[in-house]
Amino acid sequence: MTGNMRRGVMKKAAGAVLTALMGVSLLSGCGSGSNEGAASDGSGDGKRVTLKVEVFDRGNSPSPHTITNNWLTQYVQKEFGDPNNIDVEFVPVQRSEETTKLNVLMASASDVPDIVFVYDSSVFYRYAQQGGLTDVGELINEHGPNLKEYLGEETLKFGQLEGQQFAIPGKRAITARYNSYIRQDWLDKLNMPAPTTTDELYETLKAFKEKDPGGLGSKNIPMGLALAPSGYEPLIYSFIKPIQGDLTYSQRYELPLHEGFKEAMQFMNKLYNEGLVSQDFSLDEEEEQLAKDFQNGNVGFITEDVGQILYADGVLDNLKKNLPDSEVAAIDTLTNPNADNKYTKSRYGSNGMYIMIPKSSKRSVEAVKYLDWMASGDNLLTMSTGVEGENYVMEDGIPVVKEDAAQEIKDRVYNGGDMAILANGKVIGDQETNEEAWTVGFPKQNQELMRQSIAVANTDTIGPIVFDRPIEAEAKYGTALNDKLKVIIVQSTMAKPDQFEAVYEREMKDFMNIGGAELQKELEQALQEQG
Amino acid sequence: MSERTSNRIFDTVNITFVSLFVIFCLAPFVHTIAVSLSSNRAITSGEVTLWPVEFNWDAYVQVFSDQSMLNSLGFTVILTLATTLLCMLFTIAAAYPLTKGRLKGRKFFMYMIIITMFFSGGIIPEYLLIRDLNMINTVWALILPGLVSPFNLIILISFFKNIPPSLEESAEIDGSSFINTLLRIVLPLSLPVMATLALFYAVGRWNGFQDALMYVTDPQIYPLQLKLFQMVQNNMVTELTQMEGANRAALTPEALKAATVIFATVPILCVYPWLQKYFVSGVMLGAVKG
Amino acid sequence: MTKAKSTLTQMNGYGELNKRTTYFKRYWQLYALLSLPILYFLIFRYGPMYGVQIAFKDFNLFQGINGSEWIGLEAFREVFAMNDFYITLRNTFMLNFLDLIVSFPAPIILAIMLYEIRSARFKRISQTILYIPHFISWVIIGGIVYQLFGTQSGMINGLLQGMGFEAIPFLTEKNSWLVTYLFTGVWQSAGWGTILYLAALTGVNKELFEAADVDGASRLRKIWHITLPSIKPTIVTLLILNLGRMVSIGFDRPYIIGNTAVREYSDVLSTFVYRIGLESGQYTLATVVGLFQAVVGLIFILGSNYISKKTTGDGIL
Repeated sequence: MTGNMRRGVMKKAAGAVLTALMGVSLLSGCGSGSNEGAASDGSGDGKRVTLKVEVFDRGNSPSPHTITNNWLTQYVQKEFGDPNNIDVEFVPVQRSEETTKLNVLMASASDVPDIVFVYDSSVFYRYAQQGGLTDVGELINEHGPNLKEYLGEETLKFGQLEGQQFAIPGKRAITARYNSYIRQDWLDKLNMPAPTTTDELYETLKAFKEKDPGGLGSKNIPMGLALAPSGYEPLIYSFIKPIQGDLTYSQRYELPLHEGFKEAMQFMNKLYNEGLVSQDFSLDEEEEQLAKDFQNGNVGFITEDVGQILYADGVLDNLKKNLPDSEVAAIDTLTNPNADNKYTKSRYGSNGMYIMIPKSSKRSVEAVKYLDWMASGDNLLTMSTGVEGENYVMEDGIPVVKEDAAQEIKDRVYNGGDMAILANGKVIGDQETNEEAWTVGFPKQNQELMRQSIAVANTDTIGPIVFDRPIEAEAKYGTALNDKLKVIIVQSTMAKPDQFEAVYEREMKDFMNIGGAELQKELEQALQEQG
Repeated sequence: MSERTSNRIFDTVNITFVSLFVIFCLAPFVHTIAVSLSSNRAITSGEVTLWPVEFNWDAYVQVFSDQSMLNSLGFTVILTLATTLLCMLFTIAAAYPLTKGRLKGRKFFMYMIIITMFFSGGIIPEYLLIRDLNMINTVWALILPGLVSPFNLIILISFFKNIPPSLEESAEIDGSSFINTLLRIVLPLSLPVMATLALFYAVGRWNGFQDALMYVTDPQIYPLQLKLFQMVQNNMVTELTQMEGANRAALTPEALKAATVIFATVPILCVYPWLQKYFVSGVMLGAVKG
Repeated sequence: MTKAKSTLTQMNGYGELNKRTTYFKRYWQLYALLSLPILYFLIFRYGPMYGVQIAFKDFNLFQGINGSEWIGLEAFREVFAMNDFYITLRNTFMLNFLDLIVSFPAPIILAIMLYEIRSARFKRISQTILYIPHFISWVIIGGIVYQLFGTQSGMINGLLQGMGFEAIPFLTEKNSWLVTYLFTGVWQSAGWGTILYLAALTGVNKELFEAADVDGASRLRKIWHITLPSIKPTIVTLLILNLGRMVSIGFDRPYIIGNTAVREYSDVLSTFVYRIGLESGQYTLATVVGLFQAVVGLIFILGSNYISKKTTGDGIL
């Protein structure tokens, strides 16, 4: 076949393809875009309407419940839906695919639920920026007195951008985040006191390495580390200088923009090269190996999310089973040379997920009413914990879950955490009450350690700065920078000591180039505006 | 060296190598079975390799007592059968005409098909199409979008082309219509490749869940792999669980995950031995001669 | 069919028309067969293809594709200015090229070895087992790979250290990682890949072997001169299809076997697109990369088909 003819065929092919393409896209209505009129007050005319609410599907519905039809959905329908002449329909979204799916639903306009939510603030900013969200400020004033009271101004602020309320933030029950655990029996064996500063910790780790109190040989891991936030964040937060008072930039990938970040990397490099931390930490993003090492008794010291190792049949319980003589203590030891040697550590913001009402929703009034209903009376408690007397009993104002309740009763609230979207954790009252309510859910033998853990985690905490305008660079570069942060940590930590400087500078330069510099500029500007 | 000894050396080396590879391939499967039968303590402590530790059936009891799991299995079997059947029909219908060099427009159609191997509209337009066709939450959304795989189509064309032209020509001279030739001569001669492609389609459908993530929200028509995915993947998002304040103890236990993997894998593994008879050498020549 | 009809009415000469009529009388069945699959391609493959224009638009989720503003080639400029784009492109090429050298021949060799096995029972059982890895998801393979190849905790390094050797950082040193990556690829796909070749091998003419036996040819000679040539068309077809995929790469394998320490090699176009496109919602950039991959892929597949036709006479078109 000649070249000429081939070209001819291709041309014809292209022509026909274009025709076919146009035909079909006309047929299919050419996608979205038409949001016929935004919020309307449909509830007034007495017609029964449908309110669609997103719900996370984790594939853990116990028989005979399904994610769209279970005790809680029935409860919502009965208590909220029927009295208000509303059919509440739940739209399941796979937990791990939430953003992808939500983007597609948003783009389709007609299929999107009236209430959606994300944890990722940059997704919220992007939606707001692209003009896809309803400003619910007025609606809350009008239809959400309970909601307003429940959240309070401080939490509501997280959902405001340039004076408009584009999201209703959930409320976080507990802001305590990280603490550290040490093997007390190792300390006792070496006759050492618990370390109280970063320097002392380093000496202790060295002693763990050299004297090998566990008698583990090559399995000995003085400090367990994983490439998970609970591994590196406590270390980094114990070096960085807060931006103002006890506040830092809110996103994890903004850590490298703080003074002291390099020192943190240098310290991690030292720990790694002297063999004091898990050598395979860069492979262990899910902390599986770390949990394995710790419960086999190979680890002397770890930083962790509060309570993470204390659950029933969890890491600590398994350690006790594997090594009955082992003993674990919660300690506070990472002191910050750049912040008056305080035990600085990260705390959560007081907000939970971002709950949003898409602009294309025609049921924004009902959506706010639903959230208001959830915030009123005992509804939130019922949705997260079940029925008093059957699922839990009140003791000193704290709901204690009845462990002896029948499985069928317990299954009622199997997805309570996902249905009670206004609360992240169990919101009973103030922090202290919430903490106690959380603690009593742990096995008896671990509760004392849990209380100590929370006390440690609440000491010298640093919180996130909340700007009242979206940082555009966050929405744009967030994911890439988050990924780069991990690269910086791994490469700087694993570099040979004499190459640290070069590796760190190279990676940081890269970080700045792919958006870090732009982000820094925008953050500093926002900071100035805020005053 | 006599021919016999060299033959024997060849066979020994050959069998040793294949056996080694077989062991490599089997080991992870055996490991997964061992995990599914062990206690969670032993698993998370890293004690389980190829043999169960603290043996128990609990995970399987749990899988088999989950009605939604059994429903999903039944649904997936039917879905896979239906998908495979339709896919094969469409692929054969496309492949046979495209082997005919004299067919006008053949090149055009080939280009048209090959272009789709590379260009696609992306998930949003695809979702909107399925929505506009009213197929969201229907079985059709899981069958129709993947009806013809260009890859499989090209393979089938290449096999059809290898059928000695004389066989078809003689039939055509006898006045047999194209469809008749296809049914009487081409298909019977192509059983091995048809079995292969059927297997490709069946396994693709069995293992696929990405489309279900997008197009299906009704638990009644969740493919089995979607349920498995929920179990394995939804649990693996450390950062998310941390943000949510969820605890790891509430995540799916490893043994249950492993048991579900086995539960979702064994049925499709059973398909192959059943198709294997079509791979026995000599089918083609036998058919021609007979 | 519409096109055919319209050309038909344009025909003037009676002889021409007659020729056409006999052509369609003879070939209508083939067009009828083709019509349904073509309809499928038009609706399900070409229908959503208007989405390609996202690459040239500042895509706003809420305005939809048609409502978003045209930005011309701006997004292309942005992508081509990104350092990560070139790194991931290089890695994609590199990993695919290594796979072509290592993982592409593996199933051919394995299929021939299986074909040469005389015990029908051993053949059957081993075939069935060889496919198993294809059914195990990468998430699970990833877990097993870490258990085996970890530096401190991996079983293989445990053995090595037990024998007094240094531990090998199979997963955290980039060159060793390449070997691990290739190995897992061969392990996962070689068995499954044999199926097509085994199907092709059923067509080998047994008489040729008998003739070769009379000539006293060795086993290896017979493989080289009889077995391989008979599956050559299948090899060529698959090779061309593979070459068409040189710039596209699956997401799971590099993502799960890869890790932050070897990011320099393991970051590929698919993980790059995932990061900028799906996670950051920058559909425009993701579409640009997809379009780039599509054009390069098309050039590769047509180019290799052309070369193959010239040299071996076999091709996919």
